[in-house]
Amino acid sequence: MKIDAHVEKFRRFDDALARLRPDADYELWVWTAMNACVNLLNAALHRSGITDETDSFHTQVEGLYARPDRASGALTDAVHAPGDVMHAGQPALGTARTEAIARASSALALTAHVREPYVRGGQTPTASSAADWRRAYRMCVDELCSVLGVAVRG
Amino acid sequence: MNEALHRLKAERIERSLAVLDPMHFEAVIEGTMLAGTHWFNILLHRHSLAPETADAMHAEFMSQGVRRKVGLHMASALAAIDEIEALRTTHVRGDMPNGPNAARRALACLAILREEAARSADVAGR
Repeated sequence: MKIDAHVEKFRRFDDALARLRPDADYELWVWTAMNACVNLLNAALHRSGITDETDSFHTQVEGLYARPDRASGALTDAVHAPGDVMHAGQPALGTARTEAIARASSALALTAHVREPYVRGGQTPTASSAADWRRAYRMCVDELCSVLGVAVRG
Repeated sequence: MNEALHRLKAERIERSLAVLDPMHFEAVIEGTMLAGTHWFNILLHRHSLAPETADAMHAEFMSQGVRRKVGLHMASALAAIDEIEALRTTHVRGDMPNGPNAARRALACLAILREEAARSADVAGR
């Protein structure tokens, strides 16, 4: 997708996140935080020239894209050089990341890693785990917003 | 995961969805996938199509043989979860137009999955 589309999506995810509580809504909070960050990450990767800003969408299959026909709405499968990533490191990128993007990716990985135990699995978060998630989200967003030069809610 | 925990998580995610509205269409669609997958797994376990130790994560990644069996036993639930997954490509990872309508459609698919799970429980006398 294009950078502007990623930033718009980030803002909607971030707004949704503000309505959710990491304790009572933890499954959707974690998932929404991860999606918000992945959109900012894609925008930052495109802006930095590490991935291509293409009019294609990542599918559920790593490295497989869907290319839209904007007139008909039809989608066609496509395999091409990395455009959007599905998650940090999926697909793997040949080009080195900047330090800010590497730090953001590490923070995003913390959120992605809690999907298995807390979202798909039966583990219940503690007060400290929710605080850790908020901190990782803020770190990821701050790093990527600095790369992109965009402002987010305070 | 056992049925009780699937149900607990599906119902909590549905309560979380209730604080969002269709303008947050990406988060709504993702939430329907998360909650819907729990209802879908309850149905898979009840039909003995997957054990509680092997939940399906995404319906499209089930083997072709399993999908054929699932299509026979729980066709409307399979169609509903497939539609939610398709909406994720077009409106979550993609920027096709009419996102709020896509979110409403995803919520309708989630309702189908919830109702199918409830109907299955009635049949089983649970």
